[in-house]
Amino acid sequence: MNENNQTTATNIQTTSLPVTETHEEIKHESTLYAEPVAHVHGFPITNSLITSWIAVLVIVILSVALRTRMKKIPSKLQHFFEMFMEGALNLADQVTGSRKITTKVFPVAVSIFFFVLINNWLGILPLGGFGVIERGADGASFIPFIRSGTADINTTLMLALVAVIGSNIFGIIIIGLWKALNKYVNLKALGSMVTKVRKEPTVLIMAPVMFFVGALELVGEIAKVASLSFRLFGNVFAGEVLLASMSALFAYGLPIPFLFLEVLVGFIQALIFSMLVLVYFSIAAEDHDAHDEGHGHEEKKHETVGSHASA
Amino acid sequence: MDSLITTFHIDWKIIIAQLVNFAIVFAVLYFFALKPLKKLMDERSETIKGGLDNAEKQKELLVAQEKEYADALATARAEAAVMLKEAKKDTEAYRAEMMEKALADVANTVANGKKQIEADKAKMIEDAKKEIVAIVMQATEKVLGEVATGKVETKLVEESIKNI
Repeated sequence: MNENNQTTATNIQTTSLPVTETHEEIKHESTLYAEPVAHVHGFPITNSLITSWIAVLVIVILSVALRTRMKKIPSKLQHFFEMFMEGALNLADQVTGSRKITTKVFPVAVSIFFFVLINNWLGILPLGGFGVIERGADGASFIPFIRSGTADINTTLMLALVAVIGSNIFGIIIIGLWKALNKYVNLKALGSMVTKVRKEPTVLIMAPVMFFVGALELVGEIAKVASLSFRLFGNVFAGEVLLASMSALFAYGLPIPFLFLEVLVGFIQALIFSMLVLVYFSIAAEDHDAHDEGHGHEEKKHETVGSHASA
Repeated sequence: MDSLITTFHIDWKIIIAQLVNFAIVFAVLYFFALKPLKKLMDERSETIKGGLDNAEKQKELLVAQEKEYADALATARAEAAVMLKEAKKDTEAYRAEMMEKALADVANTVANGKKQIEADKAKMIEDAKKEIVAIVMQATEKVLGEVATGKVETKLVEESIKNI
């Protein structure tokens, strides 16, 4: 594998940079992290950050183009976006179950979708030959300018944090601080041990369990961050490694099916991430107490209906 | 945790830089694309909905107007029929009246005519009588000459008149 990569790097060097006379061996490894291409006042400009900036630029250009050409009778670009928006809104409605919540969460989900999608697709552009050669203690190594923004854990971690923290803030706005807090630190359950113990003695067992479930929810939030960030990072990074490996094996034609596969994977990953954001926001906006009370009412209703029927 | 940070090169500076990138994407998409597009789509939906509602109202109005027109037409026909009937009735009455009047006039005229004729006839007879008397007297005078007196003449005339 390393041998193959080194071969690729040498080939790349001959095409993109002036031919070195020393025939120095240049390493090109697919690293788990985004490599810094330059440093500005100690700030590392990584290749994934450059790709993200390009992604931002693409989105800005598209948005401005859309805004300037926006008419009541739509142009092709506007028509495409309207179709996308209509479909996305309907899909989001199926997840959230309410147009009211969809309208509030939709901008975040769509922004994440486009940011991830453009980053994923930019990463598979055949521009890996452009980069810099860095000479370190281990010798010279090739660092490409382009690496998918989502093939860097910093990006996916940021997105995951935005999703999880954002969903909790959204939950506080929708259901209130007290109810949102009680999801994780179930003080209400602890309080019920005192208030309901005479009426329902089982609360002495149930309340600590409920409190523990709340704590588990808190752990679940951390797990959400880990799962969101590592899933996206893993998929995109694996795709890039796969493409690099295929190119190293046989550069002509062989990577093409995998490129198509990665286009699809890039889209699916963006969709999955944004759908999960919608799910997390919807769950955060749910009032469990109201839900439980609703169930309680329904059960009572069923009992009443049952008693009437038996009568 | 440290090994995780080292292995993946987790750097808060890059996380913040990516957060800024995402914030730009969110702001641009929200203010330049999603919000105006949503507004435009809602406006278009409203326009279409308004148009459809208007069309529905127009349709209802048209149906109502057609019904009104049909009702008005039926009323007008009924009124026209009544008017025609009344006109016929009036005409009949007028004709009958005129006929009666004409008949009365004719009868009157005939009666007057008859009266006139009777008067004329009586007058004619009277005149004829007078002329006959004059002729008889002249003839008598010529036949009898100076023999006959005034008394005889009168007697002859009277007899002649009786014979007539």
